[in-house]
Amino acid sequence: MADVPREPPDEIEDAERFEQYLDALISGGRPSPDDVGSDQAEMARTAAELAAATSVSQSRARGADPDPAFIEQLRLRMRQADEGIASVQAPLPLRSAPARPPADAPSGLARVRISRRGLLQAGAGAAVGLAAGALGMATLRPGPTQRPLGGDSPLVKGEGFWQEVALLANVPPGSAIRFSTASFAGYVVNDGGQIRALSSVCTHMGCTLYYRPDWKDLRCPCHGASFDLKGQLANGRDRWRETGGYAGDASAYPVTLPALVRPEVKVEDGEIYVWTAQV
Amino acid sequence: MATKSERASSPDAAQPPGPGRFEEIYDANVVPIYRFIYARVGNAPDAEDLTAQVFMRAVEQLDTTRQNAQIVSWLYRVSQNAIADYWRAFYRLPVIGTDQVAPGWEPADTTEPAPASGGAQGSAAAGEERAKRQVASLLRRLPANYRRVLELRFIQRLTVAETADRMGITRSNAKVLQYRALRKAALVGEGADG
Repeated sequence: MADVPREPPDEIEDAERFEQYLDALISGGRPSPDDVGSDQAEMARTAAELAAATSVSQSRARGADPDPAFIEQLRLRMRQADEGIASVQAPLPLRSAPARPPADAPSGLARVRISRRGLLQAGAGAAVGLAAGALGMATLRPGPTQRPLGGDSPLVKGEGFWQEVALLANVPPGSAIRFSTASFAGYVVNDGGQIRALSSVCTHMGCTLYYRPDWKDLRCPCHGASFDLKGQLANGRDRWRETGGYAGDASAYPVTLPALVRPEVKVEDGEIYVWTAQV
Repeated sequence: MATKSERASSPDAAQPPGPGRFEEIYDANVVPIYRFIYARVGNAPDAEDLTAQVFMRAVEQLDTTRQNAQIVSWLYRVSQNAIADYWRAFYRLPVIGTDQVAPGWEPADTTEPAPASGGAQGSAAAGEERAKRQVASLLRRLPANYRRVLELRFIQRLTVAETADRMGITRSNAKVLQYRALRKAALVGEGADG
């Protein structure tokens, strides 16, 4: 179908730039206004509404319905804020109309392109995790027995290939970026210069972890497990005894959990690659 | 999602405050509000951010002793302002803050029926149906190759490269084609509104 006439060069440029917006939108990421000229805003809105409407019609696409982990995590944030306000009997001075929610929201993270298949897998994990998580703290118990995957050595090996997941420049020390490959969903973290990839699936019941920049940990929205940037449980009883507490938590996490799964990573030419198992 | 019984929210009865009241409001409204926002920003990360903004604002400012219907309408009003502010960034308009009503600038489609008490299930299904019809009607009004490129990208969710392959054109052509298709669709959409 060669019925696209010759385009003037600036239309090609506009179309290239607009594709950046579209690509983020369609792959379920966060599109940036920077890719959209003000004269294209109406197109962006049309595209957004189209994406929303078609994602509704595709029951398998993520987005039209909220991620259960998001709902639960926002509930906890609100409960804390609500209790804070009630106890002080006055509005708190915080949140002076932030354009974005506080930095501990997982949605506040930089997002990288995520394959739809990966999203489905990650989403299914979260849903299963929350269904299990709904049992509550009273039934908190160890997950499926696993050998703790401790140590600091890369773990996921075997058949596979290197998948580029992020630019090193986008992961400064103390930050984390969510990534997803065909077989794996996780975070690339920069632990004081050391780059690691960590699974975003809690080893307790499979809820999806979110990154808290203030505490430099991956936190579970279901029962509050925290994992440090090495992938080890950070708020368990042992650590609690050593350090006398954790991140303002009221109590230690009562169960010992295996470390997060860690695929091998490499950095080459400013890009971060994760070893991805063949599927 | 379970909603409160009709009896609990008889028209004149203000709701008692107290612990748990806020969470009741959250449970009854978070999913419909998220969907309302998602339908207007088209992506989950931004929909999550805006939903969080709305409810964090509710924690600060919402008078939970008011009647349910008033609370629901407050939540939708704040959501609408948040969406308007979101799009202001795209139009390069100054953001005025979600606590003020934007005078003279409202999102195109502000007529979402606020599910006052009926629960999210029915209205969600109806919303899906409406969205499908709107897409179909929009696509029908576009030239065939515009329709095709939007179908491949939005409905089949193919990449530009895959779309180009399917259509037997270059990637660059595919980008230009989808660009023109959306420009046209935006005009068609405006025509339908006005």
